[in-house]
Amino acid sequence: MRFQVLVAAVFWSGFVDSRKVRGISSSYKRFYKERKSFLCIDGSKIIPFEQVNDDYCDCEDGSDEPGTSACPRGRFYCTNLGFRPHYIPSSRVNDGICDCCDASDEYNSPAHCQNTCWNLGQKERAYVEGQMRTLDEGLRLKQQLIEEGVLLWREKQAQLRELQQVAEDLQIKLEEHRRRKHEAERLKEQTLKALEAGDSGLRHQNRTVTSIFQLLDSDKDGSITVDEVKAKVVLVHDEERLLSEDEALGLLGGGHQIDLTKFRRTLWDVLTRGDSVKIKDTPGSDDPHLEAADKAAEWEATNLKKVEEAYETVNMEISDLRKKLAIDYGTDWEFLFLNSQCYKLQVYEYIYTLCPFNQVTQKNTAGTEVSLGTWGMWAGTPKNQYSQMVYENGEPCWQGGSRTTTVTLTCGTETALRSVKEPSKCQYIMDFQTPVACQPVLKQRGVHSEL
Amino acid sequence: MVPVLVLWLAVCLTGTWAVDRGNFKTCDQSSFCKRQRALKPGESPYRALLETMELTNTRLTLQLINDNNKVRLLLELYRLQGNITRVKINELKPLKPRYEVPDVLIREPPTEPLSLLSQDENGVVLSLGSESQRVIISARPFRLDIMEGSDVLMSLNSRGLLTFEHLRMRKDTQADPEADKKEETDPANQAETTKEEEEKVEDGMWEEMFKSHSDSKPNGPSAISLDFSLPGVEHVYGIPEHADTLRLKTTENGDPYRLYNLDVFQYELYNPMALYGAVPVMLAHNTQRTTGIFWLNAAETWVDISSNTAGKTVFGKMLDYVQGSSETPQTDVRWISESGIIDVFLMLGPTPKDVFSQYASLTGTQSFPPLASLGYHQCRWNYNDQEDVQSVDAGFDEHDIPYDFIWLDIEHTDGKRYFTWDPHKFATPKEMLQGLKDKKRKLVAIVDPHIKIDSNYKIHNEIRSRGFYVKNKDGGDYEGWCWPGSAGYPDFFRADMRAWWASMFAYDKYEGSMENMYTWNDMNEPSVFNGPEVTMHKDAVHGAWENRDVHNLYGLYVQMATADGLTQRSGGVERPFVLSRAFFAGSQRYGAVWTGDNAAEWDHLKISIPMCLSLGLVGMSFCGADIGGFFKTPSTELLVRWYQTGAYQPFFRAHAHLDTPRREPWLFGPENTALIREAIRQRYALLPYWYQQFYHAHRTGDPIMRPLWVEYPQDPATFAVDDEYLIGRDLLVHPVTEEGARGLTAYLPGKDEVWFDVHTFQKHNGAQNLYIPVTMSSIPVFQRGGSIIPRKVRVRRSSECMEHDPYTLYVALNLQRTAEGELYIDDGHTFNYERKEFIHRRLSFAKNILSSVNLAPDAQFTTRSWIERVVILGASKPSKVTLKTADGQDSQLEFDFDASMSVLTLRKPGMNAGADWTVMLQ
Repeated sequence: MRFQVLVAAVFWSGFVDSRKVRGISSSYKRFYKERKSFLCIDGSKIIPFEQVNDDYCDCEDGSDEPGTSACPRGRFYCTNLGFRPHYIPSSRVNDGICDCCDASDEYNSPAHCQNTCWNLGQKERAYVEGQMRTLDEGLRLKQQLIEEGVLLWREKQAQLRELQQVAEDLQIKLEEHRRRKHEAERLKEQTLKALEAGDSGLRHQNRTVTSIFQLLDSDKDGSITVDEVKAKVVLVHDEERLLSEDEALGLLGGGHQIDLTKFRRTLWDVLTRGDSVKIKDTPGSDDPHLEAADKAAEWEATNLKKVEEAYETVNMEISDLRKKLAIDYGTDWEFLFLNSQCYKLQVYEYIYTLCPFNQVTQKNTAGTEVSLGTWGMWAGTPKNQYSQMVYENGEPCWQGGSRTTTVTLTCGTETALRSVKEPSKCQYIMDFQTPVACQPVLKQRGVHSEL
Repeated sequence: MVPVLVLWLAVCLTGTWAVDRGNFKTCDQSSFCKRQRALKPGESPYRALLETMELTNTRLTLQLINDNNKVRLLLELYRLQGNITRVKINELKPLKPRYEVPDVLIREPPTEPLSLLSQDENGVVLSLGSESQRVIISARPFRLDIMEGSDVLMSLNSRGLLTFEHLRMRKDTQADPEADKKEETDPANQAETTKEEEEKVEDGMWEEMFKSHSDSKPNGPSAISLDFSLPGVEHVYGIPEHADTLRLKTTENGDPYRLYNLDVFQYELYNPMALYGAVPVMLAHNTQRTTGIFWLNAAETWVDISSNTAGKTVFGKMLDYVQGSSETPQTDVRWISESGIIDVFLMLGPTPKDVFSQYASLTGTQSFPPLASLGYHQCRWNYNDQEDVQSVDAGFDEHDIPYDFIWLDIEHTDGKRYFTWDPHKFATPKEMLQGLKDKKRKLVAIVDPHIKIDSNYKIHNEIRSRGFYVKNKDGGDYEGWCWPGSAGYPDFFRADMRAWWASMFAYDKYEGSMENMYTWNDMNEPSVFNGPEVTMHKDAVHGAWENRDVHNLYGLYVQMATADGLTQRSGGVERPFVLSRAFFAGSQRYGAVWTGDNAAEWDHLKISIPMCLSLGLVGMSFCGADIGGFFKTPSTELLVRWYQTGAYQPFFRAHAHLDTPRREPWLFGPENTALIREAIRQRYALLPYWYQQFYHAHRTGDPIMRPLWVEYPQDPATFAVDDEYLIGRDLLVHPVTEEGARGLTAYLPGKDEVWFDVHTFQKHNGAQNLYIPVTMSSIPVFQRGGSIIPRKVRVRRSSECMEHDPYTLYVALNLQRTAEGELYIDDGHTFNYERKEFIHRRLSFAKNILSSVNLAPDAQFTTRSWIERVVILGASKPSKVTLKTADGQDSQLEFDFDASMSVLTLRKPGMNAGADWTVMLQ
C-alpha cells in the first residue's frame, strides 16, 4: 500500500519534470533552471532558454538538447523508475525503437512503447538476487576449495618431500649397489685372470690324471667311451673338426671303452704329449669358481639396474610434481583442485574437453580428436589475472598458426564448462564456471529496489 | 646474372601469394585466340558485294565474301535512335544457327531512317540521320568508316582483321555435304571449293586440351573478330572486369584483355587476366568527343589495344608536333570472340553523358535499390550462429556505430544446401530476423547456383525431375565439384527454370525467410572447382547452345532470376536487393556487384577505385570492394583507410575470409573504433545524396562514382586519374590509400571551379594540384562550388531510423555566387516511385535567394522531414534572412556567420522538405 502511493507520487513528479526539460537526470537539473537564457554546460555559448530542447542543436556539447535527437554528441537520460536509469545516445530518441524501459525516448514516434521498467526491475532484482545467492554460495564453496587447496598443496608438498626422501634413499642404495657390482666384477676379473694363468701349466699342476679322466667321463660311470672322447677331445691343429669314430677308437687304444688304468697308458699319454690332440677349450664354464664369480657379477648388475630404474622413475615423478607445483594456482592455491580434472561440453557436432592446466581438445562425431592447445598461462586483467587462461600451440591451422583457446573463468556454484565458441578460425573461447572464480567485490549497483 | 636470379626469386616468392596463373589460359593456350592473333593486318580477304545491297528505310543489308574460301557473310547496318549505329555480321547461310545474345537488350532498339547519299563500284555512302554523319562502305577490301563532317570517328576492318570462321563439317570423319549444295547455288565456284578444302586443319580446331581437361568442340572452329580504328583517340576505358588501371593499356607486349567469367583465386593486380564478370563495352575519349563500342557477344572474348602514340614520351609527342611530322594519334582495337556473331553497337556520343544514355537505351540502367542497401553492410565468412549474429548486432549498438545489413555466408546452410538453414546453429531464423527487424535492420543470406546432388534435398530433386540442370556433352546432367561437393548447375538460360527459381524465394517456399532478408549470389561465373579454369566445360549444354556460346551470361541470369524472386515474393511491391559476383552487360538492372575475392593489401585498396570506376562507365554503378580485403589480415591502418575509402564508394560492405581473425569495427582499440565510426557516420549523413545519385543513375544511366574526365572532358590532366573520383557531379573524393601517408596531392579540376573541403569548409580554386596534409582521421572530400548537397546529420543506428529526420542543406557557392542541387525523397523501399509517389525538388541559389522548386509536379508524396539547417559556404554576411513559405507567410530566420571561413548557417528554418519556399538573404 505504502509502496503504491510512492509509485504514484514519483510518476507524477516525473511527469511534471519531463514537461519542463526532457532527458536530464536530477543531478543535472540545476543547469536547466528556467531562466531567460541557457549557458551551454561546456560554457561555450549562451542561448535563449526557449531554445533548450527546441529540436535544434545550438551547443557544441549537445547540452541544449538533452531531450531531442538534434545534437550528434548529445545524450538522453532514461529515468526508468523501477529499473536502472541510464543514458542513451540522443540518436536513439524518437527513432521508432523503444530504448528506455519507461518509453520516455519515444515521445514523438509511431512506436508504441510500453513502460516495462517494473517488470525489468523485478527480473533484474531476481537476477541480481540470484547472482548474489550464487556469489554467496560460490564464495562459501570457494572457501572450502581454498581449504582443500591448501590441504592439497600440503599433501602435494608432502608427497614431494616423500618422493625426495625415496630418491635420497635410492641414491644411497644406488651407490651401495654400484660398489657391489664393481666388487663382483673385480672378483670375476681376478678369477678369470687366475684361470688364464693356470691354463698354460695345465698338464703339470692343476690337472691330475684323475681330474682329466673325470672331466672326460661325462656320464661319470668310471669309463670313457668313444662318444665321450668325441665330445671333449679335439685335434690341436683343427679344433673345429669332430674326431672320427676310428680316430677316437685309436685314442682309446682300440677298445670301445677304457677305465682309469687303461686311460693312464693310452689317452693320458697322448694328451700330456700335447702335439696331436687336446681337451676342448672351454675355460671358465667348467670352473666352479669362475662360474660363481660370473653369476655374482650378473646378479649385482641386475640389482643395480633395478635400483637405477626406480631412481629414475622417482626423479621423473619429482620433476612432474615440481612442474605442477610450479604452476600458479592462485594466491590461496584455490585452483589447484582443477589440476588432474577434465570438463566436457558438447557444442553442435563437437565434444570439447578442458583439462585445466593441462590441455584442451575437440572431438568430432567421427571420433577424431584435435588439440586446441596446451596450458600456456594466466591472461586475465591486471586487476584479476586469474580471470582468464590461455592454452596455446594446439594443432596447426590450414593457413598457418596453431589453435589456441582462451578460457574465461566466471563465478558459479558448480565447476563446469558452460560454452565454447570459435569466433575466428582456430581461435576458441570458453566460458568456464567455477566457485573459485567468485570475487567478493562483485556487487550490482543502482537498481531501484526501493523507490 | 645476380639480378636475374633475384628477379626469379622475387617472382617465385610473390607467386606463392598470388594467383596460380597456370590455372588460367593465356591467348596462346586458347586456340581461337592464338589463331586469330596470328593474322597480320592489311590482308583482308573480305569484299563487299555491292550488288547485293538492299536498303529499306531502317536497314541496310549487304553480302560480304571471303575471297579465299568464297564463304559469304551478311552485313546488316541499322541507324538506332540516339546516335547509335548497329553493325551485325553473320554467315549468310550458316551450317546451323549461330548464337545471338538474348535478354541483354531491354528491347529491340528503335531505328531511324537511313538514306543513300552516293554509290559507285568502290563503295556506298549513307547518311546517318539528320546530323552530318555518314557511313562509307568500301568494297575492296571491305571497310566501314563513320564520318562526321570531315572527321573519321571510327573505322571498321580498316586493318583488315575481320574474320569469321564459318561453321563446317568435320573433314577427317565425314564428307562435306555442303560442297554439293554450294555448287548448286553457285556453280562457278568449283575451283574455290577445292581451295576451301585445302584450308589446313589446325590444332585446336576440333578438340582442345587445357591441363587435364579436354574440350570436345563438336562444332569446330567458329571464332569471329573485327578491328576498330579510333583516330584522334589516346584514351580508352571500360571492358571490365580487370584488376587494372582505369585507362586501358596497350596490349602488344602481352596478352589481350580477356573477358571470360572466372573464379580467380587470389587475383593479381595490374594485368589483363579475366575476372568474375564481363561487360564488352569500351569507351574512347579525347577532348573533342566520347564514343563507345558495345560488342554484344557472350562467348570468351579477347580485346587487343594498340596505339601509335604508346610509348612516346610527352617530349616525343611535342617534338612531332613542332616538326609537323606527327601523324594523328590513333588507337586501334581488335575484338576476338570464340563463337556467336558480330553484333556491335557504335555509340557515337559526342559527350560522355551521351554515351551513357546511348548505352542505357540499349541495356537499361542501374536498378534503383532500397535505400537501406546504401548503408553499411557487415559481412564475414561466417557469422557462426544466431547468437553470434545477435552479439555482433549488439556490438554495433554498444559502440554506437550504424549499420543496416548483416550477412550470412555459406556456413549458415544445412550442408551447403541453399534455401536451407543449419538446424542447430540457425534453428530459429525468423526469431533472428525479427530481432534485427526490431532494430530496423536487415540480413542477407547467400544462395549460390551450384546445387548439392543429394536425393534428400528438395531443391535438387525438383530441379532434376524437371530436367532443369545444365547437361554435359553426352546429354546427362552436368556435375561439378563446388562447396557442397558434387553439384548440379541449374540451366538459368531457360525461362521456365528462372521462373521456378524465382518462385523458390516466396515466403512459404524459402523457409525461415522474412521481408527483411535479401540475397547474395556468389560463385555464379559459374565456379566449378574441378572444371577447366575453375569453371564449366565449354562443351556443357544449355538447351541448344554450348556453354562456349553463352558462358558470360550465366551470372546475369542467376542474378536476374533471384531479383525477380525477391520482387515477386512481395507481390511486386518491394524493391529487391541482390549482390552478384559474376555479371554481363545488362546486369546493372538486377542489383549490386562487388570486386570479388580481393586481399588485405594496400594495392588492393588502391585498385578498388579504378575497378569500380570502370564498372560505372559501363552502367554498373552499384559497385564496391570487400572492406579490409577478403584474403589475409589487414593492418589496423589499412582497415581504417579502407573504411574511409569504402564509405565513399557505392556498395559499402566489410567482408573477411573464414581463416582470418575477427575484425568487427570495435576490435582495434577505442581510437580506431572512433575512426571507423566516424567514417561510417559520414556515409550515413550523406545517404540523401547517395540515394539521389542512385535515382539519377536509374533514370539516366550516368555513373555514380565517376572518373574526373566525365565531368571535365576537355581537361587532359583528368584523363588518366584513377586515385580520386567524383560522386555524382558535386563531391570529389581522394581517399588515402598509401601506408603511413602524411599528405597527398589531389587534383582539383575545372579552371572556373572552386572546391570546398567538406570538413573544414576551406575554399580552394580549381585546376590545381593541391597538397593536403593528412592524419589518420582525414578523408579528403570536396564539394564543388555551385552545388547544393542535402545531408541528414542526425546519424542513427540504421538508415530506416533516419527516415523522418530533418535535412541540412549544404549550399556551396561558385564564383558567380550561384548553386544548384536536388532533393529526392520517397518511401525508400517500394516500387511506388514508379507510380509517381516521390518528391523531387530543385534547390537553387541565385541572386541571394535560395529556393525549392518542384521538379515533378505530377508526383505525390508527403514527408515528415523538414529543413533544420542551411549552411552556405562562400557566403557574405547578410543583415537579415527572410523565409517565405508557400502560404505567403514571411518569417525572419536566425543565422550565424563565421567570417573566417565565410560560412553562413541559417538556424532552424523549419519548412517541410516537400514544400515550395524561398529564403532571401539581404
